[in-house]
Amino acid sequence: MTASTSSHSSLPRWRRYQPDQQWEAYLFLLPSFAGFLIFVAIPVVASLALSLFEWSLLSPPEFVGFKNYTQLLSSDLVFRKVLFNTFYFIVTIVPLQLAFGLLLAVALNQGLRGLEVYRLIYFMPVVTTIVAAALVFQWFFNRDFGILAAAIWELGSKTGLPIRPPDWLNDPDWAKPAVVILTLWKNTGFTMVIYLAALQGVPAELYDAAKVDGASAWQRFRSVTFPMVSPTTFFLMVIQMIGAFQLFSEAFVMTQGGPAQATLTIVYYIYQMAFEFQRMGRGAAVAWVLFIFIFIFTLVQTRLQRRWVHYEAGGES
Amino acid sequence: MQNRQWQNRFSFKALIVLALAALLLSACAPIAPAADSGMEMADEGPVTITWAMWGSPAEVATHQSVADAFMEEQSDIVIEILAEPWGDYFTKIKTLWASGDSSVVPDVLFLSPIVNYASEGVLENLDPWIEASGYNVDDYWPSLLEYAMYDGSVYGFPRDIGLEVLYYNKDIFDEVGVPYPDDTWTWDDLAAAAEQLTVVEDSGRVSRYALGMEGGKWMIWVMQKGGMALDDMRNPSSCALNEPGVVEAVQFFKDMIDNNYFMPPANMSQAGGDAAVFQSGQVAMIIQNASRVSAFNAAGMNYDVSVIPIPADGHRASAAGGAAWVMSALSDNKEEAWTFLSWLQSTNGGQRIYTASGEILPALQSTAKSDAFLNSGQPPANRQAFITEGENARMGRIGYFVEWSQIGGSFINPGRDQILIGEVGVADGLNSICEQVDAFLEENGFPK
Repeated sequence: MTASTSSHSSLPRWRRYQPDQQWEAYLFLLPSFAGFLIFVAIPVVASLALSLFEWSLLSPPEFVGFKNYTQLLSSDLVFRKVLFNTFYFIVTIVPLQLAFGLLLAVALNQGLRGLEVYRLIYFMPVVTTIVAAALVFQWFFNRDFGILAAAIWELGSKTGLPIRPPDWLNDPDWAKPAVVILTLWKNTGFTMVIYLAALQGVPAELYDAAKVDGASAWQRFRSVTFPMVSPTTFFLMVIQMIGAFQLFSEAFVMTQGGPAQATLTIVYYIYQMAFEFQRMGRGAAVAWVLFIFIFIFTLVQTRLQRRWVHYEAGGES
Repeated sequence: MQNRQWQNRFSFKALIVLALAALLLSACAPIAPAADSGMEMADEGPVTITWAMWGSPAEVATHQSVADAFMEEQSDIVIEILAEPWGDYFTKIKTLWASGDSSVVPDVLFLSPIVNYASEGVLENLDPWIEASGYNVDDYWPSLLEYAMYDGSVYGFPRDIGLEVLYYNKDIFDEVGVPYPDDTWTWDDLAAAAEQLTVVEDSGRVSRYALGMEGGKWMIWVMQKGGMALDDMRNPSSCALNEPGVVEAVQFFKDMIDNNYFMPPANMSQAGGDAAVFQSGQVAMIIQNASRVSAFNAAGMNYDVSVIPIPADGHRASAAGGAAWVMSALSDNKEEAWTFLSWLQSTNGGQRIYTASGEILPALQSTAKSDAFLNSGQPPANRQAFITEGENARMGRIGYFVEWSQIGGSFINPGRDQILIGEVGVADGLNSICEQVDAFLEENGFPK
């Protein structure tokens, strides 16, 4: 403290901290703040107002009150389908992603040789452009000419068994799993890296103590590892649930929401309403319903966390 | 003293902050108007017409050659092209219009569907211009101009007629020993040929389908049976997809798919689209418009075209529709825009150049029946098939009102998919589509 003060006063006056210097800080914040204002804050407020209008973008908006909301909730059967699809993705993607991420992280945390290489391999999909990945997966899943299907056809003809590959992207029952697989492939690396960091913060003494007490590997995982990384699990759960609520690109590129709306999600429906059907107001209304869902779910998760999240890692606190 | 200094510094810094904010905001404002108004003020200089369209680089090159040809004839009008990829084009154009600034909105644009824009009042009504100049609208294919009409007035000129023909791979037909399709073919002939052309391996894998077609074109079969999606395609009061003829048409389509004669449309789009699977020999025939001709010619394929087979008790029913050139109601130079527009849509002007590029069936019959189209010296040999389909063109594959995109996107297309996949029976599926469409029509106050 003393050292820093003395070096401070030895600086020329213009380089010393002055009480009104927050202006400089604001100045540096300005570009990002302006960006936030123009591209986030103002559009958010505008979309709330817009949801009370019928607007095709081309002619002046027409005030319709809460009609967009009441129609959406009372008579829009497609919206119900879209809600179901979105919840399907949430309850499949979030737990699977957490499980696979933790599994990989624990495996990689065993002091493996070449850890960096594995980490790189699993993290690579995270930085891959989703559009490119989805296009490749489209081929991958194709029943007639895809590599996955080719292997299964081959297996069928070699063994003489009536094995047929599923028609992944044409069959509503298989299209959803196909989107789940793509999403897992894409995002599990991220989960893994966060878990890996959390695991390295778990004190070795705890494992040593557990070992001395005769705990098996599974018991050590259940009673030491799992509670110690629970804050990370909570964090990942919240952001992944929000991510799953906002699932769009995967379905947009790979299945175009089909077949028969099997992969049409809430965000996709917002896009359809606003830009394909030219109903900006109705689209904005769907967006606000989505916001309310995310808000409620995150609130519930934050409340429930007290029951299972342990904030003990990191020593002092 | 200290206080005043602080104030000075305060105001100076506040000024900087304000100036920066102004700079940032002004960066968002369009800069183009300054340049444009400068042009207009110079009385002598040529008038600039902004011309907007979507397209691949190759297509934009064709558009540019059209603009160049026009500028060679007319020295007092400069054409500036504004081209965007298909995916961004419509959002961009709508946003420009929403700005209401005539200096940024293009003067002449490529649009589809016209009614969505005409009903919003952003397009120039072309009737007075047609009347004043004596432009010949009878040269268009039957029903084609209706595609660009709203409330009884013409709002655009379709550049081409996007009707489909049957492309077939002659090598595959020769190899299998099936006679080439001709004008006499019915659905039964198509199915019989398809059975021979399809190749199914022992494992059950289909290594060659007889036919490929984009899913959205299924209305061809429906209309050949005299069916329609709605009772009135301009101002509907009910869905018409539960008529007996429609059920038969959809059943025919579904049987073709179930028998492996027909590549499932979603599979086809995953495999790269109709052009890709046709060129690779994964399908022996496709049903598509003239846009594929130049690609197949460039690939040196051995192919020809024929009219689309019809049911024994049906009739030809090509779609009279095509993206159209329109004039913005906001244009500051309508006189010049009309000069360009009417030149574009004349046999000696734009139509000839587009036809020579080999990608379109021109909207004007005189152009289509000229040597530029019929005797271009390029495959396909049987170009008469296009003319035959053109003479039988009729409107009605799409609705001519704004809500159509939602009716199609939310109810008809997903319902059709469900039927083709086999989730519901044909008649039940069509009934359920109609229930949803009727409910939607009622909720939105149809008929209007």
